[in-house]
Amino acid sequence: MKLARGAILAIATAIALAAPAHADPDTDFANELHTYGIYGQKDYNAWIGKITCKRIWNGLDKDAYASAQFVSWQLQRGSTTEQSWQFLGAAIRTYCPDNLPFLEAAAQPPFDAEAQ
Amino acid sequence: MLRKASMAIAALGAIAMATPQLASADATDDYPIPNRMLKTSCTAEQIMAAARDVEPFYFERYMIDYNNHPAQQQATIDKMHWFYSMDYAGRRAYSEELVTNLADPLTAAWPNNAKLFFNNKGVAAHTTDICHNYPPDDMSLWAYDAHW
Repeated sequence: MKLARGAILAIATAIALAAPAHADPDTDFANELHTYGIYGQKDYNAWIGKITCKRIWNGLDKDAYASAQFVSWQLQRGSTTEQSWQFLGAAIRTYCPDNLPFLEAAAQPPFDAEAQ
Repeated sequence: MLRKASMAIAALGAIAMATPQLASADATDDYPIPNRMLKTSCTAEQIMAAARDVEPFYFERYMIDYNNHPAQQQATIDKMHWFYSMDYAGRRAYSEELVTNLADPLTAAWPNNAKLFFNNKGVAAHTTDICHNYPPDDMSLWAYDAHW
């Protein structure tokens, strides 16, 4: 009983702390992009992030490499491949976290190769 | 030394003035339909696929609008197929007629029916740059999910 109450308290605390961060996902997304040196209009980047998710959802981009290619077409000229992947990771985490395995699948083969 | 340099600059200037710029097409060759769209050998579906990838906002907005005009969809598809089946002269003639042809029922019902194709020179340049990389007859583009 005591344990259950503790668990509920922990979950409640987590929700209470998490709530402010999700007040505006577009702002959170823009802030994260800034840490990667990706600037530009907040609404522009947010919509690109959402369309990136939509393209995964409707099967247009078959893997994370295709998604990263789509993102790179939209970023400013001179942006790096690394920034495209950072954008993609942030977009999936922000707008379609259900698709995180889609991103992890792309990261898998090199790790396996290293292990061998 | 300075005098030599200034003479050289003056000479270059004279050459520049003596060589008129290549005659450029007049405004009607780019308006209302961008020149790139008069000349491209791509199909409507190839241009749409290119726009989906490199002009996603333009594409999304157009497809939302398209989905909001179910009664005009077939006429729009037929019109774009007809337009891109014509040669340059035919497209140019249509472009000239477009501005004054206010009686077109499709335009009356949906003024933005060709926006993805005709409205913006920058978009036309970006899409016609890469449209050949896509299949010419992918009709699934017209069934793109506008909402998500």
